[in-house]
Parts: sequence; C-alpha cells; structure tokens
Amino acid sequence: MTTLSRRTLMGAALGTLGAAGLPFRAAQAAGSMTAAVYPGGWDEALRAVLAPALKQAHGVDVAFEPLFAVDQIAKARAARGVAPFDVFVLDPGPRVSGMDLKLFEPFDPARLSNRARLPAGYSDEVGAGVAAQVVGIAYNPKKVARPAGWRDLFKPEFAKHLGLTGFGTTFGTISLIEMAKSVGGSEADMEPLFTELRKILSLVPAVAQPAAMPGLFQQGQIDIMYTNTYTVTLLKSRGVDIEFAVPETGAAAFGTTMHIAKGSRNIDAAYQYIDTMISTPVQAALAAPPYSFVPVNTEVKPGADVPMKSIDDLRSFVTHDWTKINPQRPRWIDRFNREMAK
Amino acid sequence: MARPLQNSAHMLDRTDTPAALAPAAPAGHRLDMDGIRVRYGQATAVDGVTLSVEPGEILALLGPSGCGKTTLLRTVAGFIRPEAGRVLVDGAPIGHLPPGKRGVGIVFQSYALFPHMSAAENVAYGLEARGRPKAEVIRRVEAALAAVRMEGFAARRPRALSGGQQQRVALARALAIEPAILLLDEPFAALDRALRLDLQLEIKRIQRRFGVTAVLVTHDQDEAMSMADRMAVMRGGRVEQVDAPATVYDSPATPFVAGFVGTSNRLHGRVEAREGADYRVRLDVGASVILASPRGFAVGERVLLCARPEHLALRDATAETPESWPARLRISLPLGPALVHDVEAGATELKLHEARHGQPPAPGPVRVALLPTARPALFPAGDDA
Amino acid sequence: MTEQGAWRLALPLALAQAAFFLAPLLLLAATSFATDENLGSLSLAAWADVLGDAFHLQAVLNTLRLGAVTVLATLLLAVPLALLHLVAGPGLRRLILLAAILPLLTSVVVRTFAWIVILGREGVINSALLSTGAIAAPIPLLQTEHGLVLALTQIEMPLMLLPLIAALRRIDPALLDASSALGASLARTLRKVVLPMALPGLLAGCTLVFASASTAFISQSVIGGGRLAYLPMLVWQQAMVVFNWPLAAALALTLMGSVLTVAAALSMLGRRAAHA
Ligand SMILES: Nc1ncnc2c1ncn2[C@@H]1O[C@H](COP(=O)(O)OP(=O)(O)O)[C@@H](O)[C@H]1O
Ligand SMILES: [Mg+2]
Repeated sequence: MTTLSRRTLMGAALGTLGAAGLPFRAAQAAGSMTAAVYPGGWDEALRAVLAPALKQAHGVDVAFEPLFAVDQIAKARAARGVAPFDVFVLDPGPRVSGMDLKLFEPFDPARLSNRARLPAGYSDEVGAGVAAQVVGIAYNPKKVARPAGWRDLFKPEFAKHLGLTGFGTTFGTISLIEMAKSVGGSEADMEPLFTELRKILSLVPAVAQPAAMPGLFQQGQIDIMYTNTYTVTLLKSRGVDIEFAVPETGAAAFGTTMHIAKGSRNIDAAYQYIDTMISTPVQAALAAPPYSFVPVNTEVKPGADVPMKSIDDLRSFVTHDWTKINPQRPRWIDRFNREMAK
Repeated sequence: MARPLQNSAHMLDRTDTPAALAPAAPAGHRLDMDGIRVRYGQATAVDGVTLSVEPGEILALLGPSGCGKTTLLRTVAGFIRPEAGRVLVDGAPIGHLPPGKRGVGIVFQSYALFPHMSAAENVAYGLEARGRPKAEVIRRVEAALAAVRMEGFAARRPRALSGGQQQRVALARALAIEPAILLLDEPFAALDRALRLDLQLEIKRIQRRFGVTAVLVTHDQDEAMSMADRMAVMRGGRVEQVDAPATVYDSPATPFVAGFVGTSNRLHGRVEAREGADYRVRLDVGASVILASPRGFAVGERVLLCARPEHLALRDATAETPESWPARLRISLPLGPALVHDVEAGATELKLHEARHGQPPAPGPVRVALLPTARPALFPAGDDA
Repeated sequence: MTEQGAWRLALPLALAQAAFFLAPLLLLAATSFATDENLGSLSLAAWADVLGDAFHLQAVLNTLRLGAVTVLATLLLAVPLALLHLVAGPGLRRLILLAAILPLLTSVVVRTFAWIVILGREGVINSALLSTGAIAAPIPLLQTEHGLVLALTQIEMPLMLLPLIAALRRIDPALLDASSALGASLARTLRKVVLPMALPGLLAGCTLVFASASTAFISQSVIGGGRLAYLPMLVWQQAMVVFNWPLAAALALTLMGSVLTVAAALSMLGRRAAHA
C-alpha cells in the first residue's frame, strides 16, 4: 500500500507542478488515452464514430489497440499490474475472468452523464454495458431450409452443412450451451451435447476457428453456423446469401462491457470515453448501417437487421451466468478438442 | 558407328613394368577437325577450322584470349554441336556420340575435381561410370596415381591438395579411362611459373609414355613451344598457321603470327627491285636490304618486314652502310648471356638481341643493321591488319 | 584485434541473446514446472498432462508428421524446379524465382483465404473436377491433412527452393562436364555429383520447411481446422483462452524440443554426409 500512496502522492505533486509551473499545458488537449478494441468491425466503427465524438466533447485523443477479448485479458495479465491500455471492451466470459483476476479499477457509474439512458443493471461497480450481441443461427436460404431451432442442427440434412466452432469465444460457448439444452443437457451437464455431436461429426463439413467461420460460409464450405448478428450483417453487405434465424427457444444475448484497467493513469479520460460511447448520437450512429451495433441506449432504436424492436426486447433473450460457465470452460474446451479430433 | 573409342591395350597396367618407361610406340589415334564452325547467336566463335592431329602427337592451340580455342576443344569433346563441320577419330565421325562415349579425356582449366571425393575416388569416377569390376578399378586407380606420382595422396580431398597436385590428379583422372584423345584446356594457367615448367615436362613425359594423342589449349607461346609437336595459331576463330613450333617461329605465315609467337620488329618499306630470286627492299627507316622470300612481290609494292630481335645488330654510329640505318640506343639490358637493346629509329621502336661481350654500350646514336644471315619474314603491307 | 580480445566483439550479441532469448526461455521452462503462472509452487502436473496423455502425444505426432510430409512434398516439387532453374535460360529462371518467392510477398491472411477459395467444397479444385465429371460429389479437401499439406507446400516452397537453388548454383558447371566426359549418365551425375554437393542446401531447406510447417499456426488452424490437433493451436488455446500457462509452457517446450531434435538430426546427417 505504501507504493500506491507514494505513487498517488507523486502524481498529485507532478500535477500541481504541471498546473502551476507550466500553465500553457492546461490549454492543450485535455488528455490522451489508449483503448482496446476488437479487431475488424469494432475497430473500424469506433475509430470512425467514437474517436471524433470524444475529441469534440472532451478534447481527448484516443489510440486504439485492436485485441480480441481473451487477448486483452492475457495481455493485462502478462503485464502484471502495469496497465497496457486504459479501457477494456469485453464479452461476459472474459469480463468475469477480469473480475476474478482483479484487472479492473473500481467503477463509479455516477460519473457517467449518460447513465440514465442505460437500462437498469447495465452499469455496475466494474464497468458499463456499451452494446449487446444477439446470437442465433445463420443459414444460406438458397441452400438449406430455415432451421427452426438449435435441435435442428443435429439433423443430418442440416448437419451436413453445419460449421462447428468450439468454446473459445463467447458466442461459440453460449451457442453450444443452447445446443446442449436442446438435447436435454444444461450448463451443468454438457454430456448430451457431446453424445449428439459425435453422431453428426462425420457429416459436418468444417470444425473451425471462430475467425475462419465467415470465410468458410462465404466460400460455400458451410451453409449453417451459429453466430452473432454483426457477422450476418457484414456478410450480407458483401453480397453473401445469408439470413439470421432466431431459434424457437429464443436468440441468446449478452452484453459487451467496457472497464477501466487497473493502474490506468488516465482515469478521467477513460470515464469520458465510456460516457461518450453510450451517448445517444454515438449509439445511434453505431446502430445504423454499415455498423449495425445492437444499441444499449434506451433512446436509440435498433437497426433493421437486429431481431428486436427496442432495448426492452433484450430482456426476453436467453442469457447466461458466466460465473458458472467460466470455471467449466477449460474442461469443455479440452473436451471439445478431443471429441473433434480425427 | 558407335563403337567407343578406347585404346585396346591396358596401358596403365604396363606402367609398372620397365618396358613402360621406354617411349611408347606411336600407337595412338588420329584426330581430324574438318571445317568446324560454331556460332553463339550472331558471333562466330570458330570459323571453319580444319586441323589434323597425328597419332601420339601434341598439338597446341595457341591464340589470344577469345579467339575460340576453348570452343573448338569443347566441340571436339562433344559439349558443343558445331553448326558445320565434322570431328573424326581414326577417320570415323564421332559427332553423334555424347562426350562420355567419344574416348576423350579432358583436363579442365579449373581442374574440375569433384570436391566431395578423395583423389582416388576422383580417378575411379570414370572407371566406375563405365562399370569396370571393382578389383580392376582399384588396380587402375593406383596405377594412374602412381603415373602422376600422387600415390601418397589417394585419400586426400582436392581442398587438401596444392594446385600442382590437383592438376596431377585431374590428369590421372583423365588418363584412367584410357582415352584415345587427351584434351587439355589451359592446364597450367592457375599455376605459378616455377611449378609450370616441371608439370609441362611431366605431362609431356606421361603423354609420350601413354602414346595418347593430345590437344593442348594455351595462350602462352612458351608453353606451346616447349610442349607441342605442332602448334595451330588461331585468331578470331580461324587458324592462321599450323606447323612445328620452330617453323612457326622462323617462318610465320602472317604478321599476326610473327607478332604473337616470339617478338617481332615491324619495319615498313617498298620493293625497289628484284635481284635474282631475292628482293631489294627500301626500308622507310632509311636503309636498303636484300631479302629472300617464298612469296612473290611486284616492284614498287609496299611491304612489311618482321624481323626477330636476333636478326638485327648494333653498329657504330659512324659506320654508315646502305644496309644499316641511324637510330638511338635508349638502354641495354643484360639478359643472361645476352644483351637486349632498346632502340628507336624515328617513330619505330626496335628490340635487338645480341650475345654479350664486355660492357654494355652507352646510350646514344648508333646504327642498326640487318644481319646478312638473317631470314626475316616479308609480307605484303596489306596483311598488316 | 588479438585472439584474447576477440570475445569482446561478441559480447553485445551474447548479452542480447541472454536477455531476449535465454531469459524468456528459462522463464517458460520454470512456468512449465509450476502450479500457476505466478510460479507459486513446484508441480509436474503440466508435464504429466503432456507426456502421459494420449491426445497430447497424438498432437505431438501429428505435428511432427505434418512437418515431415510437408518436407517430402516440397522436396518432390522443389528438386525438379531447382534443376530446371539450373539449366534454364534467364527468362525462365526469373519466372521460377518469382513463382518461388511469391508466397513470401503475400500476407498470411491473403494466402490462407486464397487456399479456402481453392480447397473449399465449392472451391476451384472441386469445381474443376466436378465439371470434368472426374468426381460425382465434392471431395473433402479443406480441413483435411491432404489439403493442409497442399497449402503448406505452396506456402513453404521458398524455404526449400531458395537454399536449393543457391546450393546448385554454387556447383561449378565444369564438374557436370567432367562427369559427362568421364562417361557418367545424367542420372549418375545427379546422384554422384549434384546431390552430394547440393546436400547442405537441401538439408537447410528441409530444416527450414520442417520448422516452419510444424509451427504454422494460422495455416494449421484455418486450413486444417478443428479436427486436426496440432501443438501450436493447443499452446495458443491453453495460453490465451484457458489461461493454463504451465500446460501451455509444457506444450510449447515440447513443440520446440521436437522441432529442434529433428533439425539437429538433419544437420548431423549433413555433417555425416560431408565426411563420408
Ligand atoms: N557460351 C557462350 N555464349 C556466347 N559467347 C561465347 C560463349 N562461349 C564463348 N563465347 C565467345 O566466343 C568466343 C570464343 O570464346 P572461347 O572459345 O572461350 O575463346 P578462348 O578459349 O580462345 O579464350 C569469345 O568471343 C567468347 O566471348
Ligand atoms: Mg579458353
């Protein structure tokens, strides 16, 4: 604790010095910060929409570091206390990992001016929800019938078009959990999933890394996959024949959250960054094509490709308790590897 | 006719008998090149060469770099297919045979020893390629290495041998297959002078002993002189003269040959008159000399006289005679038992070669005379190309 | 510079090696013998999990076999290409070299995606075979070891071809003439002269291709897919998704150890051949 207080003291001292001795610095940009961002669509969208909005509203310059959720956790963990960036953007699984590993600064939702525009429960003592993902079944309507639900994926006529991906990602994990439930399993008992997968494995045209799935779909190697609405929108915009099917048991949804990294030196800028992210203009711009984010701001209407009319619909979607999932995931990942191996 | 050309007797087997040390009877094979022409794209490298090499003879191909010697040799070896002309061994054309079936042994300028094989393995290579029985291969490899006095180095890799030793191994390798014809492409170029002479003598000795017909490519006239029975002087893809070395030296066929083989003093002049079988020539340096020539010249024709350094002699500046001309001695250098005089007569530079008696003369005005016994070569002036 | 002082010149490099290569490697080794990434307490659990588990051992074998098969496939193609390069005119030479280094000039992502396009169920190969009637239904290529080897053969080709071409070009052409003049057939010349002299280049190519193919994480996971278990994927998964760093470290060291063993064996073979 001595180190911490000394660092705080020194920071304060330097701050005073800076303010007193070098007055012109106050006139400069209010600050700069670094934020992790998912590579690809998120990176593009946040650079185009959020960065200029942040600069305009608060004079803060943001540098983005494209990293998948698991990579953000791995990097922060490897850094052992020195924040590699100021803000995380995470799915529920890595979010829980980050909490367990104490990678986040305590979060005070009261510091968000846009807090009231978030639905209840979308901000807490570790961070704030900034978008949602809706996960279901994507299929090529020219090649296969519309699957009614998760159970259909085990039928040969669908299985021979199905691309499987494991527990490495959030959408993969919850899809496989939903598939397990459809054949009598549960989060506590995944055995039925593996039993059924074994039966169709010889038919399945691809078992792939999550990042490879869109490419495989585009090339016609697979015609059915479980995925989120972003991927469907993205592929559609490239002229791929793809539709999103909401399973009869309901689509699964999860929130994407932002967190301030432990040891961040730019806490104020980080709050401003998250606050701008949930502001109505930014959420509206992100919800519109080509980004088609699922908004969390109650004043913004979801885009046409998203199977919901308003934020309230999110409540009807299937959600998962990641504090239960996370401890089991390493086992599921290992099991999936072994089950899939030829 | 595809019979492989090979000496019928196992010459190598004879090398360890005393009889083998006597000069072998000329049992070798005759090589003929008949109208050979080779072109690389537009450039003609060999331009209609016809040459014969007698059995057991060494013929030197002598000429400046780029005159087509290697090209001609590679055509004989079978690496180059000539555009025109034939190669014959003992009268039989061998143009259709690949190099390995022509009965030629080659010693390359770089020796081309296989670096990953020992000396013995290098020598055995050709025998093994010919499928000779193992015992015979071992016997012949030993004999061949002994013939080049390399028996103690059988296990060495080429890298562990000196240049001269590598050369001997290359020679042993070429001879081990008992070639009808031995082709040597500048075999001494990579060796220093002292070593060169030893090896030249040795190769000549071995060639004699084996009675093998040989073609030696060289641009070094001394080498050609000392080794060859006859030499073919080449220039620009053509043969200018083929003769015994002494004949080439004494009676060069062209001014080029005169200049390339030995030193030549070039003196221009005009035929003044015929005097019996000889010509009286008025030299531009200011002298009138009487010369014999096998060639016919008209009176008044411009001519080029190529005189060897030993054809000329220094005279006292005051001893004016019609056959001598005024000059200035720049320097005299003793060269063994001889003196070399560096002389200028107007714009013409001359080299003289005389026996040395007493002190070298002091530089200054002198006269130069053509010795009465000298038979310098006389060419029409137009040949001076 | 005296002999005694010469080591000073190498000192900066040695220090850099120690700091940036040796130290992380030691840390990796230590992690593999720990219960967690904080090196809490000593444990052999990770190694037991690698060496005592059929799935992990199978992955080791798969990885080594993938490297070996890719080496064979690249050899099969690179040797004739390199020989062709040796005898070709300048135009063809440039074409061969360009084709050889092209994979180096494209990004991994482009290359990998291109192979999905080629190998896929509706890909170039299957479409061509279907249209000629050679097959009645698409054959699986993507996500098979054959397909992966095919792709890796193209991707790793420069690593085999370039050292091989360099080795062949170092052979004095007069040696080939000498061999032929001594009566050796082309086959004999290749076997007795060209092959032994090109062997160092050949073995260098084999080592490079083996090391590169057996650790080709992206190609293995995207073209090979989830049904083929290779060590690099397992290392990544354990390190980045599961956060089981001791297991990841043990798997990584296993991968490194097996690749190094093969590389050492190849180089020993080369040295033995050089002295034979
Ligand atoms: N492979 C080749 N391609 C084109 N030109 C060549 C080739 N080899 C030799 N030449 C040319 O042919 C001429 C004769 O070459 P070469 O036979 O090697 O001469 P030498 O051996 O007398 O020095 C030279 O002008 C040389 O440049
Ligand atoms: Mg030459």
